[in-house]
Amino acid sequence: MEEILNSPYLHPVIATLLIVAVFPLVAGYIVLAERKVLADIQVRLGPMRVGPYGFLQPLADAVKLLLKEDIIPTAADKWIFWGAPVLSTFTALTAFAVMPFSDKFYVADVNIGILFILAMSSLGVLGLILGGWSSNSKYSLLGALRSAAQLVSYEVPLGFTIVTALMITETLSMQGIVQSQFDKGIWIAFSNYGLMLVPAMVFLIAAFAETNRAPFDLPEAESEIVAGFHTEYSGFRFALYFLAEYASIFVICGIAITVFFGGWLRPFPNIAFLELPLNVAFPMLLLLAIGGGCALGATRVSLAYEKAIMGVLALTMFLVAAMFAVPMLNELIIGFFWFLFKVLTLIYVFIWVRGTFPRFRYDQLMQVGWKYLIPISMGALVVNGIVLLFTS
Amino acid sequence: MKEFLKAIFLVDLFQGLAVTFRNQKPSLVCTEQYPKERPAIAERYRGAPRLNVHPDTDQTLCIACNLCALACPEQLIVVGAERNKETRRKELTTFIYDTSRCMFCGLCEDACPVDALELTQDFELASYTREGAIWDRQMLEEGPLPTEYKH
Amino acid sequence: MATQSTFLDTNELVLNMGPQHPSTHGVLRVILRLDGEKVLGTECVIGYLHRGVEKIAENRTYQQFAPYVDRMDYVAAVSNGLGYCMAVEALGGVEIPERAQCVRVILTELNRIASHLLWLGTHALDIGAMTPVFYCFREREEVLKIFEKYCGARLTTHSFRIGGLQYETYDTFEKDCHTFCDWFEKKVDEYEELLTTNRIWVGRTKGVGILNAEACKAYGVTGPVLRAAGVEWDLRKAQPYCGYEKYDFDIPTCQNGDTYDRYIVRMQEFRQSVRIIRQAVDSLPEGPIKGKVSKVYKPPIGEAYVSIEAPKGELGYYVVSDGSTQPYRLRVRPPSLVNLQALDEMCRGALVADVVAIIGTIDIVLGEVDR
Repeated sequence: MEEILNSPYLHPVIATLLIVAVFPLVAGYIVLAERKVLADIQVRLGPMRVGPYGFLQPLADAVKLLLKEDIIPTAADKWIFWGAPVLSTFTALTAFAVMPFSDKFYVADVNIGILFILAMSSLGVLGLILGGWSSNSKYSLLGALRSAAQLVSYEVPLGFTIVTALMITETLSMQGIVQSQFDKGIWIAFSNYGLMLVPAMVFLIAAFAETNRAPFDLPEAESEIVAGFHTEYSGFRFALYFLAEYASIFVICGIAITVFFGGWLRPFPNIAFLELPLNVAFPMLLLLAIGGGCALGATRVSLAYEKAIMGVLALTMFLVAAMFAVPMLNELIIGFFWFLFKVLTLIYVFIWVRGTFPRFRYDQLMQVGWKYLIPISMGALVVNGIVLLFTS
Repeated sequence: MKEFLKAIFLVDLFQGLAVTFRNQKPSLVCTEQYPKERPAIAERYRGAPRLNVHPDTDQTLCIACNLCALACPEQLIVVGAERNKETRRKELTTFIYDTSRCMFCGLCEDACPVDALELTQDFELASYTREGAIWDRQMLEEGPLPTEYKH
Repeated sequence: MATQSTFLDTNELVLNMGPQHPSTHGVLRVILRLDGEKVLGTECVIGYLHRGVEKIAENRTYQQFAPYVDRMDYVAAVSNGLGYCMAVEALGGVEIPERAQCVRVILTELNRIASHLLWLGTHALDIGAMTPVFYCFREREEVLKIFEKYCGARLTTHSFRIGGLQYETYDTFEKDCHTFCDWFEKKVDEYEELLTTNRIWVGRTKGVGILNAEACKAYGVTGPVLRAAGVEWDLRKAQPYCGYEKYDFDIPTCQNGDTYDRYIVRMQEFRQSVRIIRQAVDSLPEGPIKGKVSKVYKPPIGEAYVSIEAPKGELGYYVVSDGSTQPYRLRVRPPSLVNLQALDEMCRGALVADVVAIIGTIDIVLGEVDR
């Protein structure tokens, strides 16, 4: 028993189990958040029926997907058909292994963390291609290949911008990157006299393309003729692809936050007098406001179980807000709070952009990637390098 | 030059984002959660037909003149009448109205000289059978009574 | 449709955008011939919504047929009613009182706004912008509320009768129209902010589906498609009817005849319609709402062709009377059918993703195409 408790593997294994168990729920709630935010933008209400204000909708969706009939086309290659969504989900979830949720909560701190994540997302493209190919349908394959070409071409500017950031951090390890931002006292996106804003913007635009989100979602949404790689998938397999997509959104937002926006650090991480307002007051006020909103919602719903759910939510929020007042607990959870807050804000931006812009046509999409983003990211790399050379 | 700067700094994209951001105010939501919230129907709405009765005597106002049946483009009204021996006037016996073929155009309502046939504000006319959509005089006088929605 | 090569072309792929499709605005079947991604030619197969409306007309009296007319262009039903009533009134030589004409103009222009709103929402949705459709339907809801308060139905309005109007305007009609106009102009500004300068929108619509003026005239294309090609032809100004000569409005035109220009023309038409509605509501005269028309309407033997500027183009009604209460022949010139002919020319050389945008920009309603 002592052997298990003292084993160096205990912490990573527990963290892994926690992430794998909790993440599908989180992905489900990100889907709900997307539906509600899109509905807000579109002046409508979104899911309202299942649970108070639609709060239990992910559970209903999960049950529905699990109960659906598992259809496999007769001419499909059975093993690859089974393996493709598994591969996509596997690569997306493995990237969580190096994600720095906070200075205390992470699975592993590999010294080539960024390289590991980029490798995982490149492997994810394989899951896409296999899915389209194994469906044994001309149009699925075409859709999968277009999607794969889009992903591969946008990985280049992604890589260039990360390299630009790595010039400042001088380390590839994810925790090291955050630590270097703490040492320099400024997030990388705003450092180097503001010149790093260009790579940050390019990264964000390439992130939309990497995750097949609007305005770059032609391969999966323009299903007038080319049906996309996941047409033949239904039920649980489709749920796996869905999970993989939202996991990759979370991963890309996590990378953006870690590399450019300070990871689990608060804004102005080195300035001491901001410690109290930003690390104590801000989380408490935010959580109290959310709790207050839940309590208000509890008064507005009509059924007893809905009131109960909203009440429990409100109490949880108040409890967590109270935790931030205790200095010892605050230290443990503040990193995680800032990471989550920033990732969720970026996910909100993803949803906001999806609701606003029309889609690029495929040739325009490739044009933006090759003719605009790659030269700009290369230029930013050179300029930032030169400025760093002369100022350090 | 100004155009060039606008293109570089993605001004048009941020303008679009501002429009969608503004529209997120909860007060702008225009969804009606039917059937919990009922829509507000106009007075002149051409919905379910109704044969009006006199409020005091409970007698039907219809004089069986058959003008509504003649006006209907789909010929879905059948008016049955018999002549009363004493008063020498026609009295209504049966009135059949087929709502499954009705297009709610209002020509029958316009044709009625005594405001007996009226298209009301009821729009919940669903029935489980085709025959259920053919209304007789009693259904026309009472109106459709849809089951109240229980949460 | 000439083929591009003399020998059997093995690179050509024939693809069917079937009658059930989210982007074909109804049951339109388009057969595409593709060379890789480029479109070589298209062929439209129509008739999936044919209901024999013109044959039905031969078995109904003139008043009885009026509700059927709304079901052709079901998006903008009031225009259909206006054209039909005007054609039958021309046949019988009926005079319409001034008040009826003014109210007819107000309702027709509101109906033009509603039709263009639906066009904008669905067109933006085809191109991928998923929010304008909700904003447009919110505005359309206000117009439909006015229709409902006036005549009792939102979509298939049956608002006009032969000789004038059936219903007097309701109490708050003028106030409602003014409130709507003031509120709506700000919304048009919002749409322009969201789409007009957006680089993605411009990239998807500029240079796509060009139809120049000669081609328009050769095909007989009318409406905003013609005006976007540079031809300043609007039946409300060229052959004024129903009192349009009294109102002061412009005809928006553009030069290139591509999808972006058609978008600009229809956005300007919103503003011009609001102008007309304001002027008409302010100058609403008192008086009767129906001219002298007998209950049994028997026009003399003859024929009449009356065309109006519907939101989609020139909508024409050709009525032939043999002296009885039922028309001998009623023929409708649907603008969507005539405009749809130009689809092949507009799609030549475009990419597959553009075909959907081009079908949307012509603004067709299958109820009108098939009747």
